[in-house]
Amino acid sequence: MVRGVPASVRAAAWIFVILTLVFVLAPLIVVAGVSVSESQFIVFPPQGFSLRWYEAILSSSTYLAAAWTSLKLAVLVTSTVTGVGAGAAVALHRRRLPLSELLGALFLSPLILPTIIFAIGLLMLWSATFGPVSFMALWIGHSVIALPYVVRTTLAVLADSDPFLEEAARTMGASRWQALVHVILPQCAPGLAAGAFFAFNISFDEAIVALFLRTPSLVTLPIQIYNQLEFSPDPSVAAVSTLMIALTVVLIVAIDRLLGIQRVAA
Amino acid sequence: MRTDRAEDVALAAPGVILLLAFFLPIAQMLVLSVAHEPSGRLSAEHFVRFLTDPYFAGVAWRTVRLSLAITLIAAAIGFPLAYIMARVSPTLRLWLIILVVLPLMTSVVVRTFGWMVLLGRGGLIPFTLWKMGFVGRNFTLMQTEAAVIVGMTQVLLPFMTLSILGVVMKIDPRLEEAARTMGCGFLASLRTVVLPLAMPGIVAGSLLVFTLSVSSFITPSLLGGVRLPVLAGSIYEAATKTLEWHFAAAQSVVLLLGVLAVLVPYIRLTRRAHG
Repeated sequence: MVRGVPASVRAAAWIFVILTLVFVLAPLIVVAGVSVSESQFIVFPPQGFSLRWYEAILSSSTYLAAAWTSLKLAVLVTSTVTGVGAGAAVALHRRRLPLSELLGALFLSPLILPTIIFAIGLLMLWSATFGPVSFMALWIGHSVIALPYVVRTTLAVLADSDPFLEEAARTMGASRWQALVHVILPQCAPGLAAGAFFAFNISFDEAIVALFLRTPSLVTLPIQIYNQLEFSPDPSVAAVSTLMIALTVVLIVAIDRLLGIQRVAA
Repeated sequence: MRTDRAEDVALAAPGVILLLAFFLPIAQMLVLSVAHEPSGRLSAEHFVRFLTDPYFAGVAWRTVRLSLAITLIAAAIGFPLAYIMARVSPTLRLWLIILVVLPLMTSVVVRTFGWMVLLGRGGLIPFTLWKMGFVGRNFTLMQTEAAVIVGMTQVLLPFMTLSILGVVMKIDPRLEEAARTMGCGFLASLRTVVLPLAMPGIVAGSLLVFTLSVSSFITPSLLGGVRLPVLAGSIYEAATKTLEWHFAAAQSVVLLLGVLAVLVPYIRLTRRAHG
């Protein structure tokens, strides 16, 4: 007779999972807790309840400027990689290009190689070629990092799509352009949208490239937080961080609505 | 047919240009690493400096040592977690995946800040340790190797767990049932049946976690402090503080070679698993 999982093991498993989840989520919970503390020192568990730190950051010009830089950058990066990635994914999916498989691997390579190596290379190449780093350097840096996500999600959606729809459209007299816009693009749309949300999240949260390219006038929100952490932070850092976490959660929910998180998690 | 090819090239071209923006900086770095400072002649002096100076040998060793510890702990937690996730209902599994991946999707500075609060003077963890009588009142875990290990394990755990999960989900549960029919206990069947079959996932996850850990900068720097530099921190210092770009490039190449040495087996392993 096969014995089921012993009750003691089952109980131990539950405790283990809960402890692990606490471990994994602890920093996020702590940050949120500190942000509503009344005390001007960073303490956890928080003392009292107050939204003063949220008020403080919403009226701080440094934080607002950094947030604006991050937002501008993320929107630009997302638009860029969605367009570029769509074309690349469609071309890769068709597998008609020479060296398609190698090309596909190359498109995913920024995911594998350590970001710090790319960041330092970009700093050196840009400085040697163009001089001081600018917003454009950051735009290019983030676009390179975000592109593989769009290509990957779009390819995944295209892999499940009907290959004959395009052919049918062309047979009916549609031009290449019309087939692309009216048939293929709608097929890609969920993948593109998920990729776009990933790209936005990545660009907004990105800290390595932004750190290497940082100048006093080119500060993104994560770098502003990093600057504060290097010296003496007050709970306003926690308020900004909590807002960033909230943004991430919103983006995850949006990805789920669009693609279903099962697809993405697989 | 020719217009087919032309269409594909036109579609892929912007992507290829963006890819150039990825590979050219890396090429620039490779070039800088072997160039003599003012003249530009080929020279291995930067690599020699890195390999012979005991300070940098210490940095490299610390990086590897910490990464090994992080990988081992992540595997020890990740394997049971992945097994449990594989055996529960799909809905619960999805929720567990989301919760485990969520910290990954937040910014590294946010996560690290959370650990700074938890581990610093007066933080929850030193406070608990003090109440339990293990340490003194003013104890802090910041600027210790333990802090780096804890912080890094938290963020890298999902990579390990998902690697193992993929493999464990493919293990036929009837194999475990068969073992238990033969009289094997539950934990023994885990050890003798599941563990060997899950090994490719554990190895793949370990290679991935090791690579990510070895190239990490922000978490080790903020939690470990200036007295415990890791390789990535040393690169940052050379590139932005002391402005020794050639030397920074050489260190980056060392990191790159180390990462490639670990990644090539990883790619082979995962490609075989996916057929």
